[in-house]
Amino acid sequence: MMDKVECLKRIAKYRTDEVVITMMGVSRPWAEISNHELDLAWVGSAMGHAADFGFGLALACPDKKVVVLNGDGSMLMSLGTLVTISTHPPSNLILIVVENGTYEVTGNQPIPGEGFVNFATIAKGSGFDEHKIYEIDKLDDLEATLPKIFKEEGPIFAVLKVKPEDEPPPIRRADHSAKYIRQPLAEDIRKLKAALTK
Amino acid sequence: LQEDYFVKADLIVSELKKCGITHVIGVPDNGSRAVYELLWKTPGMTVILTCREGEAFGVAAGLYVGGKMPLLLIQNTGFLESGDALRGTGVAMSLPLLMIIGYRGYATLNSNNPARVDTAASFLEPTLKAWEIPFYLMKDDAAVANISKAFGQAQSESRPVAVLLVGEAS
Repeated sequence: MMDKVECLKRIAKYRTDEVVITMMGVSRPWAEISNHELDLAWVGSAMGHAADFGFGLALACPDKKVVVLNGDGSMLMSLGTLVTISTHPPSNLILIVVENGTYEVTGNQPIPGEGFVNFATIAKGSGFDEHKIYEIDKLDDLEATLPKIFKEEGPIFAVLKVKPEDEPPPIRRADHSAKYIRQPLAEDIRKLKAALTK
Repeated sequence: LQEDYFVKADLIVSELKKCGITHVIGVPDNGSRAVYELLWKTPGMTVILTCREGEAFGVAAGLYVGGKMPLLLIQNTGFLESGDALRGTGVAMSLPLLMIIGYRGYATLNSNNPARVDTAASFLEPTLKAWEIPFYLMKDDAAVANISKAFGQAQSESRPVAVLLVGEAS
């Protein structure tokens, strides 16, 4: 099991100009590491739909890589998305499931299937190329794999096994410590669209 | 009960082209199948079928933010399933999402027997009103122009707007 923040630091180290969409327990910690115009916190939107959004964005912008840092509870809410992605596979999509086995921001209740659900197997069964599915539980392995994840053609599916922590619910508010969670969602969406189409 | 309303699918597709729609996302039903079949043959249109309708809202939102012009084409049953997806994307993001929603069960609304009323139909308009989604009916060929009206309203007000497809497109 890895430390979530250490994982995020390593992802940030290899990220250059990709769109990064963050979900739930990842949103605030990501802002401590990254301050990029192509960061979008999926805060205030619909849980379970960050991967759908990232897929649509990747289809619309084939020259821009899109990274979705999804939660395991969020991924379970829309497993069908994996099949949809495989039907129209965007080579620029990197879908990462940060798996801690719990609904962290509501107090770490175990997700359905905690301890036995296997996201890599589900991704394979949904049509992802098995050579582009990664399951990582050691930081050294993550460090070694990230250059490949960012470089190779996707769609990529990666599962990062992390320890549960005690992240509070992310809520948009003007005084939030994370800059990219201060504005209303519509404002951040407008800025992201402008940045992508300029 | 039989649905006695028919709208020509080619008129619908022509209207979508006029609006500049690039992608159609959703799940087909009997009402929309002729539209889907025509869309698959239409150059410049990409059709993306999703596994569940809520997913379609996320995909459409991503496409729009990336510079495309999506249309959601789903049935009322799927729309009812998609409440939080619609809220969290189209509404919370202020996106001009055009939706064509199949009005399954419209013909049952006048039934004298409440047990024969299709709740997919009877729930639809009250739900749209409760969620503050403007909507237009499309029961015949003349009403196909409502697609452009709805599209214009979605664009000018930056919000989701629905067109309700009554009966079957043919």
